[in-house]
Amino acid sequence: MSKNSAPRKIALVAMLAMAVLVVPTVTSLPGGMGGADIQRAGCTCHGTLPSSSVEASISGLPDSYNVSETYNVTVSFSGGPSTDGNMNLGGFNLWASDGTFATLDDSAQLWEQNTNEVAHTESGNDQRTWFLQWTAPESGVNVDFILHVNSVNGNQGNGGSGGDMWNRADVTVLGFGDPPLPEVDPFKVLATLVVISGVMLSIVVMYIFYRKNPDSFDWENFAPWISEWLTSTDHKKIGTLYFVQGLFFLGVGGIMALMIRMQLAVPGNDFISQDYYNQFFTLHGTTMIFLAAMPLIAGFANWIVPLQIGAPDLAFPRLNAMSFWLQPVAALLIFTGVFSGQGADTGWTGYAPYVVTETTHSGVSMWAAGQLMLVASSTLTGINFLTTMAVMRAPGMGWFQMPLFTWSILVANLMLFLSIPAFGVGLIQVYLDRTIGTAFYDVAAGGDPLLWSHLFWYFGHPEVYVVIVPAFGVISEVIATSARRSIFGYKSMVYAMAGIGLVSFIVYGHHMFTSGMSPTLRFVTMLTTMLVAVPTGIKIFNWLKTMHGGSLVYRTHTLWTLGFLVTFTLGGISGMFFPSMALDVHLHETYFVVAHFHYVLVGGTVFGFFAAIYYWYPKMTGRMLDERLGVLHFLTAFISYNALFWPMHRLGVVGMIRRTHTYYITTDDFNALPEWAADWNMLISISAFLFFASNLIMVYNMIKTLVRGEKAPADPWGGWSFEWMTTSPPPTPSFDPHNLPELKDANEHVANEPGVFGQMFRRLMVEDDTTEGGSH
Amino acid sequence: MAGITPLFDAIWDDYMFWSLVVGAISFGWLYHHSYFYRSEEGESPNIDKIEVGVFPKEYDNLKLEVTWTVIPFILIVWLTYISWAPLDAVWSQTGPDGYHGSECENGESSNNYIDPSGYVRSDCYHDIGIEGQQWFWEFDCYDLVDELCSIDYAAVEGELKPHLMLKAGETYLATMTSIDVTHAVKNPDFGMMEDIVPGQVTYLWMPAVGETSFLMLCAEYCGDNHAYMIAQITVE
Amino acid sequence: MSADYHDHDHPSPWGPHDWGHGAPHNSWSPLVMSIGIGIFLMTFGGLFTFSEFDMWYLPLVIVGIAVIGAGLFVWWRQDMSFDGTYEPMSAGVPFKNIQIRKVGMWVFLMSEMMIFSSLFSTYMRYRQGIPRCDTVFNRGLFDPVTNPDGWQDGVAVTCFEPASHLIASSWWHIAPGAINTFALIISSFTIVQALRWAHKPVGSVDEEVRRKRVYRYLGATTILASLFLTLKMIEWFIGFHVPAIDLIGLHEHEIHSLYSEGYLINNDHYQHHDYVDEATGAHMVANIQVSATLFYVTTGTHGLHVLVGIIGLAYLTFKAWTGAYNPQSAVSIEYFGLYWHFVDLVWVLVFPFFYLY
Repeated sequence: MSKNSAPRKIALVAMLAMAVLVVPTVTSLPGGMGGADIQRAGCTCHGTLPSSSVEASISGLPDSYNVSETYNVTVSFSGGPSTDGNMNLGGFNLWASDGTFATLDDSAQLWEQNTNEVAHTESGNDQRTWFLQWTAPESGVNVDFILHVNSVNGNQGNGGSGGDMWNRADVTVLGFGDPPLPEVDPFKVLATLVVISGVMLSIVVMYIFYRKNPDSFDWENFAPWISEWLTSTDHKKIGTLYFVQGLFFLGVGGIMALMIRMQLAVPGNDFISQDYYNQFFTLHGTTMIFLAAMPLIAGFANWIVPLQIGAPDLAFPRLNAMSFWLQPVAALLIFTGVFSGQGADTGWTGYAPYVVTETTHSGVSMWAAGQLMLVASSTLTGINFLTTMAVMRAPGMGWFQMPLFTWSILVANLMLFLSIPAFGVGLIQVYLDRTIGTAFYDVAAGGDPLLWSHLFWYFGHPEVYVVIVPAFGVISEVIATSARRSIFGYKSMVYAMAGIGLVSFIVYGHHMFTSGMSPTLRFVTMLTTMLVAVPTGIKIFNWLKTMHGGSLVYRTHTLWTLGFLVTFTLGGISGMFFPSMALDVHLHETYFVVAHFHYVLVGGTVFGFFAAIYYWYPKMTGRMLDERLGVLHFLTAFISYNALFWPMHRLGVVGMIRRTHTYYITTDDFNALPEWAADWNMLISISAFLFFASNLIMVYNMIKTLVRGEKAPADPWGGWSFEWMTTSPPPTPSFDPHNLPELKDANEHVANEPGVFGQMFRRLMVEDDTTEGGSH
Repeated sequence: MAGITPLFDAIWDDYMFWSLVVGAISFGWLYHHSYFYRSEEGESPNIDKIEVGVFPKEYDNLKLEVTWTVIPFILIVWLTYISWAPLDAVWSQTGPDGYHGSECENGESSNNYIDPSGYVRSDCYHDIGIEGQQWFWEFDCYDLVDELCSIDYAAVEGELKPHLMLKAGETYLATMTSIDVTHAVKNPDFGMMEDIVPGQVTYLWMPAVGETSFLMLCAEYCGDNHAYMIAQITVE
Repeated sequence: MSADYHDHDHPSPWGPHDWGHGAPHNSWSPLVMSIGIGIFLMTFGGLFTFSEFDMWYLPLVIVGIAVIGAGLFVWWRQDMSFDGTYEPMSAGVPFKNIQIRKVGMWVFLMSEMMIFSSLFSTYMRYRQGIPRCDTVFNRGLFDPVTNPDGWQDGVAVTCFEPASHLIASSWWHIAPGAINTFALIISSFTIVQALRWAHKPVGSVDEEVRRKRVYRYLGATTILASLFLTLKMIEWFIGFHVPAIDLIGLHEHEIHSLYSEGYLINNDHYQHHDYVDEATGAHMVANIQVSATLFYVTTGTHGLHVLVGIIGLAYLTFKAWTGAYNPQSAVSIEYFGLYWHFVDLVWVLVFPFFYLY
């Protein structure tokens, strides 16, 4: 893909998107009634209004039908302006959700060759009764019949005959025998896309293996190579696996987001039904947070943290492998519902008691089980990283000489580790409620739905900081290296991150402002939520100050960092509107919220990690990424991203609420969203396609350079931390355990001795004097 | 941003002002530095003598750091202060200390009005009931006369939805319950929403000041037909 | 992608990464265990769906457990392949010369603490929010909204029935719980003894004596832990028989299990012999699902930790029997001991909250 052809291809995707989104229009033809959405919008029969004086009736249908049997059906009507002796008496349209119609004479016809829709013919509009045959479907699904009849006041032609009246009748015929077939069409689309992505992933894997050594491309060589990947406990290999998983699910979550945007492009759209829509937004949230963002972070943490602190590997390499392998299996569990049409439909927050009622899909149990495995995975990761950072720092590296990315991972893991057990317990409660029938959230037995909200948000709010804080670390590294300066205010950066970590535990109440908390608690949470702005502000100003007096080298990762600063600041500012109650009671659960958290999660986390990809990819693979493609990626993605999320703010303020598969535009009968909201939604949907497409540029860039990229030197950007000391890619073990690197310090620091807390922890651990330290 | 409620608009304008100030400072700073301190083609000076394996020389300035800790802190204290007062108005208590007095006697009118700071004040209020259920609303006027509160059905895009008619100038307190899962009443024109949690009773003020008509929505996801869980409210 | 590294000084049958001891071995066990956990959670969801039981999933659940077991076995088998004397040590401040695995264990216990805190929060929320059944029935304090006229025939009243109302009703009822408490406290002592003997400097004690002491103390711990679970099963499901002993004035009676008393998670028509309507003589019934749920899930989570402990202890005992423990490798017992003390401590909290109060 060259620079010139890329915009053309993007335009093509946008045009395709437009083509799919064109609204179906109603057709009305002489000699018949019909139209693509007659069932939904009502009859346009001669442009007149429905009237209850017309009685439509349909006879000959059984209460429940036998499979594949044929029934004689009589359609008739009475009342209305139709009088005997006139030429034109009336017409009808009969639509069935399943089965096939056959006509018995020339008074009726199949409507536009649809075997499930039948209407009168030109010669058939002289009568009030029509005879038809209907053959039941082969499966036992319930069949809905919708009948429209038109009572015509005489021979006055088809258009504008004011006295005509029509009415509608609905009949449902029960099917029995075979169980109803689940409707899985949108899921087939998703499943197909997932399978295609999986196949493409395997092809890429095979291709990479082939490129390694084209002569040895056979099973004897492939089996040990792939089993090395499946069993490896090397932090770099596991990091790569996380990375592949994260990018894969970023794509899957993106596809789901596109389906959501397709549905919302026009009001009242029926691209996917509400049933599917609900599952898509649930899985979009779960996938993006747990299966895309967290693995991407874990991938970079795995790769970079041991390298930055000068450790040969993590403290518990096999636990690390366990952390990873829990994730793809959990992903399978979370997605099991999707492939059977019974995916979780509770929203990623899974509010009780809806989550434990039987009106949800059966996939919710598996969704909870899968997330339970992710909780286990995160807990193991937390143990591993906290221990590693506490005990495996290279000689000379005190706490306050750790690189900021390592610090951010430390803070993030501490937050995650202390909050995720609450979520795990909540999930166990939901899982048990849904399986063995415990009563944690059974309202009739005294269960309290708010308990789930507390357990969830006690985890959920630190979780969003867990996702954003590592991005802070990346930005701190990249902006200092790019500006050719050391970071401004290293210590205040660390304290700010620790402050965010502390505050994160006491702000979660703002998610529950409108659920009946006491005014005192509301005020307290309002204050603490506002407090988050202080450490975040310190970080932003420190980054800006770091550039002062520097010499900013414009690489792709620099561009992403500056992009991050723009979007994250905007997201931070919009976040300040929520703690204010009088604003929040209007903005809560609207698109303003959606815009805000996409500005911080996409504009923050994802942009931060795009910067990280461009920054550390040479270190990880030994190949430089293509800068021209990188710049193209940044420009297209940054513009389409802002066109995608910025309009959502305004939509939220005028009252468009989230998590609905359709929305109402003001008509003559009622006031709802203003008319421009429909156009804005269309704009958002088109931008969503562009944003998705622009990120494919990066994937292409990564694969292309991996195969035939320029070789990377050990320190391509001029950073100071240990990872730039080893070769690109680093050897295994990353540092020789018998000869660890030693960190020097350009400042005059006192020798590293444990502080007050360090002493305390030491005493707690009981140093073992009988064992000889080190290896033998 | 005009047109939600006077209170919302007033606070929104304050917040927008400060957002613009913060945005102008940050972005002005960002654009200046990213242009002014860019490196020329091929030039890559090592300003702080960064070296691999050496913790770089610390670059900080305590006064500056304290400045941008304290100034944002003062700003958020101010923002908290202006957001604090509406707390009582939004979730006003009933009785003489509240904004809406006690429940109206028979035939008494609320006579509500918007005071200069944007709060709605009334002499008294009327009780109504809202019950949520998957996936429709049910209103209850209790013993209010038809003029104050009446219920029928209205077609919204071809489907019949509950229609609640209230009187302008009256203030209503909705007592809300749910019989299955959590829902939330969102009245866009009153600028208010509140959850309805099963097993609990929650309350929501509906100060009908001027004539309006809007769709009341369910704002807490509640299952399949969540989007269709709407009702029409007319204030005349 | 990266150059393979082989440490030829320490060849290992388990993989190429045995660089210096304690370094990663390649292992199938994480993958196998993850798949096992996935199978288990998935088929368990089929076995019970909203408390409906579908027996056809039972073999699959067992397959899931078997796969997890296989993964665990591989994990342990790989551990046993190394001589047990190497212990990776912390490099920097503040934990210099403290074993890495010990630090890891403490960090792990931190998350365990959060799990039990969440369970106790749930307990406190419901204990505070729902009135006690005996206050409601015996003092007539009915909720004015749901039961304005007091109790009505056949209508269950939602109230909190603490398990202690049954368990602490007599000395015999509480006996299993009381014995369990002592069993756990003693087991904490025996495991420290095992560590003490394993820790004695080489030369100060006969190696055969050391071997015997260590595996006997560990064995005693295993037996005490098993006793704990056995008594719990008796208390929950089986009940026991008290014989007549005239000497101390004991007359023959049955102690019913919680199960046969109807103290169950799905019991929305619970009857206690105390709860009798004085006017009609009819039994007043209560919906106790939440209280039973809290009791079984919280004590069950603790029981699960004991079960995991028993599996670990069985492994330690076996290893001690082979004579593997000496002052250098004694730390493994210490790590397990940390976990075991934690489980003990949790019981010390669970017991008063759920059995006495």
